[in-house]
Amino acid sequence: MDEPFAIAVRTRTCALGRPGADAPPSFALDRVTVRRAGRLLLDGLSAQIPGAACTALVGPSGAGKSTLLRVLNRLAEPTSGEVRFRGTPLPELDVLELRRRVGLVGQQPVLLTDRVLDDLRVGRPDLDEDRAAVLLERTGLPAGMLARATAGLSGGEAQRVCLARALAVGPEVLLLDEPTSALDADSAQAVEYTIRDLVADGLAVVLVSHNVPQARRVADHVLVLRGGRLVASGPADRVDYLRKGT
Amino acid sequence: MNTAVPTWAGVAASIALVLPAIAVAWHRRLDLARDIAVAAARAGVQLAAVGAILLLVFQHTGVAGAAGCLALMVITAGRVCAGRSAGLPRALPIATTAVAVGSGATLGVLLALGVIAPQARVVIPVGGMVVSGAMQATTLLLVRLRDEARTARPAIEARLALGLPAVEAFAPHLRSTLRTALIPAVDATRTVGLISLPGAMTGLILAGVDPLTAIRYQIVVMYMMLSAAALAALTAAHLAERALFDDVHRLRPLTAGTRG
Ligand SMILES: Nc1ncnc2c1ncn2[C@@H]1O[C@H](COP(=O)(O)OP(=O)(O)OP(=O)(O)O)[C@@H](O)[C@H]1O
Ligand SMILES: [Mg+2]
Repeated sequence: MDEPFAIAVRTRTCALGRPGADAPPSFALDRVTVRRAGRLLLDGLSAQIPGAACTALVGPSGAGKSTLLRVLNRLAEPTSGEVRFRGTPLPELDVLELRRRVGLVGQQPVLLTDRVLDDLRVGRPDLDEDRAAVLLERTGLPAGMLARATAGLSGGEAQRVCLARALAVGPEVLLLDEPTSALDADSAQAVEYTIRDLVADGLAVVLVSHNVPQARRVADHVLVLRGGRLVASGPADRVDYLRKGT
Repeated sequence: MNTAVPTWAGVAASIALVLPAIAVAWHRRLDLARDIAVAAARAGVQLAAVGAILLLVFQHTGVAGAAGCLALMVITAGRVCAGRSAGLPRALPIATTAVAVGSGATLGVLLALGVIAPQARVVIPVGGMVVSGAMQATTLLLVRLRDEARTARPAIEARLALGLPAVEAFAPHLRSTLRTALIPAVDATRTVGLISLPGAMTGLILAGVDPLTAIRYQIVVMYMMLSAAALAALTAAHLAERALFDDVHRLRPLTAGTRG
């Protein structure tokens, strides 16, 4: 549980390895359907999410990407179908423990307290300042930001505080919903390195991204959603959606 | 003593007070003349009916009748609260229970301690005040809680996503809502007698009771209103919190409802 704190920022070379291809899947979805207000947000989705690898979840706006992430940590419940986490159907797991093992960073950054350090402690009240500083630095923010008021943060800073806050809990799987949408190229790159570091540490990361070059850089595996259905999946270098680029 | 109370002729004469209001509304095309007339007539009829019913209850049914009246008040109050907080899951049972608990406990204590007499002519008017205080606090609480659950959904779900249980994820919102719901009762208590003479005291003074006796009643009334509001709001908060989340710590979708 303390593991993620121990690792400082790593070099790119180390992050370039593509581990986890042979690890058992973290999630297995079997014909998962989510219906809300008469609409199908997910439509009989069957897919596997590799363990210890980065999976890019791509597809047009409204495809159901955020909905899928919410299903994976049980903020949303499938109308039908089954989701298994490391072989166990989600309803058989303690939901609070599941959410601590499967962190979700939402599409809109939401800060929950007045001070950055307090925000990092929301899911981990015993987090000490040194560890908090390491977490911030992993997301490319200066440690000095711990004392800052959350009210003054920029959108990109808020996004990274939210990422650090999820990391503080020490998850095994990290679900990131467009974590770099408000970041400039350099900050986005810092987050991409962090993602590769986390994967190297054995985490599974699911990355929703509209940025195809980014998905190509970071992901080992790709799932393409459209209209709540899986239209393509496979290793990142073999899926058309990514190869064509946009 | 009764010389202070208006005669029926006096009541009829007071209709003269409504006429200018109607005239102004009509002249200024406020589109309210009809509403004012209907409201005034309705108030007269409602009060006459209530007076007649109370007379019947006082003379014939005693405490059992009083209990029936109170139950009716609680049910009505519950419906009013639930109507305002439409969109909140299980609004009607929650509101009714909250008003019942707030008023029931408060009245129960007053009766048990012998502060008020167990007579219909005491229990009904005192109960009415208690129920309306509980209703106000419950309405305020449920409306705010519903709106908070809607607007703060991203923050609540962000806490849930970090593995916090529903109660903790909602705690900051519940706390601020409870505060808001209790402010009117607290303010009324703090400023009592300074801004306006409160109803119970006014009534007693009009009926010829001397002011130092009248305030004794008013002090009891203030305390019981505070207690009714606090207990009702706490009960409503507790029940609404359970209704807002399901057993796997998810914030339920709130159906569209009219703004209260
Ligand atoms: N609670 C809901 N009730 C009804 N429809 C919903 C609900 N939540 C989401 N939707 C709809 O479901 C579809 C999928 O939403 P989702 O947020 O999963 O898409 P997305 O792939 O994440 O899109 P984007 O890339 O724009 O973030 C959208 O059309 C959205 O409007
Ligand atoms: Mg989305």
